[in-house]
Amino acid sequence: MNYWKEFAKGIWKRNPQLIVGLGFCPTLAISTSISNAFWMTVGVTFVLMGSNILVSLIRRIAPSHLRIPIYITIIAAFVTIVDLSLKAYQPAVYKSLGIFIPLIVVNCIILGRAEEFAQRNPILPSLLDGAGMGIGFGLTLFVLSFFREILGSNKLFGFTLIPGMEPAAVMILAPGAFFTLAFMLWGMNAVNSRKRNR
Amino acid sequence: MIREIVKPTLTLAAIAFISSLLLSYVQKYTEPAIERQKREKLAEALRLVLPGFTVGEAHKVPIEGSEFTFWIGDRRSGQAVEKGYAFITGSPGYGGDVESMVGVDEKGKILGLSILDQSESPGLGARCVEVANRETLWDCLLKKIPFRDHCEEKRIPWFQIQFKWLDATRKIRVEKRGVWNPDMRPRLLEDNAISALTGATITTDAVVRSVERGTARLNKALAMRLPDREGGAR
Amino acid sequence: MEIKVFLAILLSTILINNYVLSRILGICPFLGVSKKLDSALGMGLAVIFVMTLTSFITHPIYKYVLVGYRITYLTIIVFILVIAAVVQLVEMVIRKISPVLHQSLGIFLPLITTNCAVLGVVLLNISSGFAKPNVSMGLLKSVVQGFGGGAGFTLALLIMAGIRERLEIADVPENLKGVPITFITAGLLALAFYGFSGMKI
Repeated sequence: MNYWKEFAKGIWKRNPQLIVGLGFCPTLAISTSISNAFWMTVGVTFVLMGSNILVSLIRRIAPSHLRIPIYITIIAAFVTIVDLSLKAYQPAVYKSLGIFIPLIVVNCIILGRAEEFAQRNPILPSLLDGAGMGIGFGLTLFVLSFFREILGSNKLFGFTLIPGMEPAAVMILAPGAFFTLAFMLWGMNAVNSRKRNR
Repeated sequence: MIREIVKPTLTLAAIAFISSLLLSYVQKYTEPAIERQKREKLAEALRLVLPGFTVGEAHKVPIEGSEFTFWIGDRRSGQAVEKGYAFITGSPGYGGDVESMVGVDEKGKILGLSILDQSESPGLGARCVEVANRETLWDCLLKKIPFRDHCEEKRIPWFQIQFKWLDATRKIRVEKRGVWNPDMRPRLLEDNAISALTGATITTDAVVRSVERGTARLNKALAMRLPDREGGAR
Repeated sequence: MEIKVFLAILLSTILINNYVLSRILGICPFLGVSKKLDSALGMGLAVIFVMTLTSFITHPIYKYVLVGYRITYLTIIVFILVIAAVVQLVEMVIRKISPVLHQSLGIFLPLITTNCAVLGVVLLNISSGFAKPNVSMGLLKSVVQGFGGGAGFTLALLIMAGIRERLEIADVPENLKGVPITFITAGLLALAFYGFSGMKI
């Protein structure tokens, strides 16, 4: 069992949003600023690792046809921990992420990894898988947020970039989210097809 | 057959129970911090809208079916003691109520406004809490200001500072002046007006409406208090 | 006078704050089921039903149980389990009534549980303040908002399906095929819907 491979596959080769095609909802909605991207990644990675560990722990004793509600309960518990913690210690972030914190529960990535990997693999690989996927998720989020924050609010890390310039607010709103992700996927396809044609 | 149903259901129930137990511990652990955040937020807003005043406890009275919260404060200026009032008010904006705390003096002049809660569109209505940050990223990096120090520390959002010194007893007008500039203030003050948020008239109107409604309710609440015990610090 | 309030809720959830095109919720099924018009319609109707029913159930649960016993920290767990149960119920009903529809919706029916829009609407009912103690007709407002959310989702889904059926036979550049062109279409739709935000109710 190659531990590094289990961890690294989530980052690029099987990047949740770009390759597997999961987790678009939070990606589109949260990538409005680097700060949001950072905290969302922290939350998702925490829940991913936690749920993967627990699902792996109970994989032999969990009854098969009730496994989805059980996994959902476990994930919901971890998400509630994230929710309460952010509310208590980072109220500004809590306000900024809004309902997307509880919506981590229905992030397809987490349930997907539990179903596909954690329920048939031991604890350590599951933990690494969760960590890798979370970081891969975060990476895509960071790249998107970088563009959207600069173009949409003329800021980076919360600091204004070009004084006096009115930013293109549409980048922060829904249309900007769709366009940015579309261009990113387009770019990736272009790079991949060029590699294939070599 | 029964065993097929009972065992999985029991497992699910057990997991739900354990999760709830775990979460109740997390809740107990984080509750003091959450409460403290709420209290600090209110205290901070009170300091902002009634600067220099000693404020008493909150009074809550039901007015027109909903609860109205207000504070009474005193400030010494020379020999006299002037009174100030702060209240919480809200009005539906674009994505729910926009809640603000407003401070007024005895004559109805606004001493300060602080938006407590809003869920307006990011980049548009949400700019009502945006601080006019003149310092740029490059300034911060070049001046080697530690990131912790945050160049945006305790500055008041430009939209909210417009309400200072406006007369709450008269109609507050909304004018569309485009990008905010502090030089616009004198003219706006003369007209008892504010400059609207670009592309967010709904949010702007909500805040103005909430100030007017709140002032009316404050007058009702104060009228209800006389002639009983004088308000103020306990 | 009361009708105006509900009309306002409907208008704002269907057009002004459309769940897919404005709030960016429910993207996974939006991408997955919008390839054909009839499966889009079937999915849309199922989602409307689930959203309305869960809004109806979760409102009293929140107001009387969660708030009443001060266990609001269990909101996420309780809501998602209610949604899972309702979706299971809907799946059984559809299988009985129309096996054909059940077949064509396939895996996407149980996936309604993980549809961000469904959990989103019940959470939004709470944050809109419908469950607060002094609010009149909170239950009806929640149900109307749930229905509106589903209707808006269906509207976006139908428009998208119509466009995608045309895109199948259009000349799309190789690297844009599939998800990228769909997202660009969605972006254009979102821009169009953004025009509704100027509406005064």
